Amino acid sequence: MVIVEDLVKKYGKFLAVDNLCLKIEKGQIYGFVGANGAGKTTTMRIIAGLLKATNGRVIVNGIDINKSPHAFKNTIGYMPDFFGVYDDLKVSEYMNFYAGLYGLDIKRRKKVTDQLLELVNLSDKEDTYVDTLSRGMKQRLCLARSLIHEPDLLILDEPASGLDPRARVEMKEILKELKSMGRTVIISSHILHELSELCTAIGIINNGKMVVSGSVEEIMAKVSHSRRIKVKILGGNMEPAVKCLQEEHEIGSIFAGVDYIEADFCGNGEKLSKILKKLVQNDIPVTSFSETGENLESIFMHLTGEEAKNAN
Amino acid sequence: MQINPIVEKDLKIKMRGWKSPLLVTLYLGFLGFLIFTFFFDSMYSTYNYFNPRIMTEAFNVIAAFQLGMIAIITPALTASAISGERERKTLDLLLCTDYSTLKIIIGKVVASIAHVLLLVTASLPIMSTVFLFGGVRISDIIILFVLYLATALMIASFGIFFSTIFKRSAVSMIATYIMIMFLFFGTLIAYIFYYVIVQRITDRAVADVSVWFLFGNPIFGLASIIDTGTSGLSSILNIRSFIGIVTSSRIGHWVINVIFDVIASITLISLSAWKIKPVKRYMFKLRKREHKVRGLRSDFDK
Repeated sequence: MVIVEDLVKKYGKFLAVDNLCLKIEKGQIYGFVGANGAGKTTTMRIIAGLLKATNGRVIVNGIDINKSPHAFKNTIGYMPDFFGVYDDLKVSEYMNFYAGLYGLDIKRRKKVTDQLLELVNLSDKEDTYVDTLSRGMKQRLCLARSLIHEPDLLILDEPASGLDPRARVEMKEILKELKSMGRTVIISSHILHELSELCTAIGIINNGKMVVSGSVEEIMAKVSHSRRIKVKILGGNMEPAVKCLQEEHEIGSIFAGVDYIEADFCGNGEKLSKILKKLVQNDIPVTSFSETGENLESIFMHLTGEEAKNAN
Repeated sequence: MQINPIVEKDLKIKMRGWKSPLLVTLYLGFLGFLIFTFFFDSMYSTYNYFNPRIMTEAFNVIAAFQLGMIAIITPALTASAISGERERKTLDLLLCTDYSTLKIIIGKVVASIAHVLLLVTASLPIMSTVFLFGGVRISDIIILFVLYLATALMIASFGIFFSTIFKRSAVSMIATYIMIMFLFFGTLIAYIFYYVIVQRITDRAVADVSVWFLFGNPIFGLASIIDTGTSGLSSILNIRSFIGIVTSSRIGHWVINVIFDVIASITLISLSAWKIKPVKRYMFKLRKREHKVRGLRSDFDK
């Protein structure tokens, strides 16, 4: 179990992490969501023991980093967002090197390396130099490296960043495999729909503060007072429809696409049918009128947008 | 016993390929050429006889050359040890393991000086040609090797220390070279100034004055090992008579120099290990906090 209590990180006067609290149960895949500079990486680096918090504490499986840093680091596997590799090493030598750093004896190293390379589909690359691997392969190798000492908690900072679609799918499959193995994972990503598929819990962070945390369903229930409607219009003339929607009090922000409009809506079904009727009565050629389901992206936009409004 | 993985990895990377064998070959070729030049010069001199003394001269020149080589090559190998890891974005991956930062630093120092020592060790057979003619004892070569080891260790420690302080390898390399220049020549210049002022103004005998600020100067150690003659290049190295250092001391100056190097290295390695530790423990702060807690408790008890 991971417990983060009142975590604060200051860089001079800048508050990067502001009293952040977190609780992750064993076997959970926890998605960490936030805009660039929200404090995700700082928080993850503190949890990985790579950064000292200004205040607060992190406990993983009952071990506090400030009390026993060595035992703590043994429970953590960390994969940073940007990382380098030693180009003049072969894949097996690279793994062997990190196995040595984690104190694995020589006999066990080969066995563990073989198993992990198989997990990340790099068994056939054992004798290949690391610098000749593709970006996706390097990411998978780094993931295998972070698992070499069988950590209790795996911290993955943007594991799919910079990957092509195929490599992204491959990474997703590996993460699903880890999920089925019952690993506890903290993962941050900008690809929110992938996170919602993988994660059992999500935490949305904005300006260093935890905005909301819980399962995707729990978070959706918290923000369900706002819905989003999508109106498809024939011909592509959006202006009259936008004008018509703007007159309604229940309509919030409006986004006009090439042949559709998306708008935030706060009201009941009766009001929704009245808006549709109004559009039709104004001779707007509506071809489709539907309520879009809430997803992680819309929740994120909604919550972080609200935070920004409050800040202003 | 398990070899330090950092040493194993760094040596593997450095020794892989053709660069290292080529460097050793060129280096030994140069030293061999130097010895040959001395032979040649002696055999075809105007006196028409071979002067065995010339081999001692050759030994001295090679000894000084190797010390210079250590001073030039070691910073290049060490000053990017940590900053290079930072630039390559591999430092975090090392620090997130439970391998102690002290072991990481020691591994980096050992891997760096191992390369320099390879060159020095490989040159031993060439240096040993001097035994054919006498004038140098085996113990002289062993002492010289100890001095090289200590000097390489100290320079490597400075290199590593600066590479933990500065984020860019180029900056840490410049800082290390400046430090080496200061140790080799700065201290000597400082001594000469001191010598002039003391001698001229106070009229005190300089020979009685402790030359503590030369303790860190490897030239000071080397000068006490080699047989400083009166001719050729070796006379330049005869700094003992030049600067008037006390020669009646029972402890050889190279011993003082080696002790200085070891103490400086231990200090710098410890500081470097502390510097790269991501989560540092400040004993002073902890004690302060403990005091506060105790104070609060005693207030509460009252």
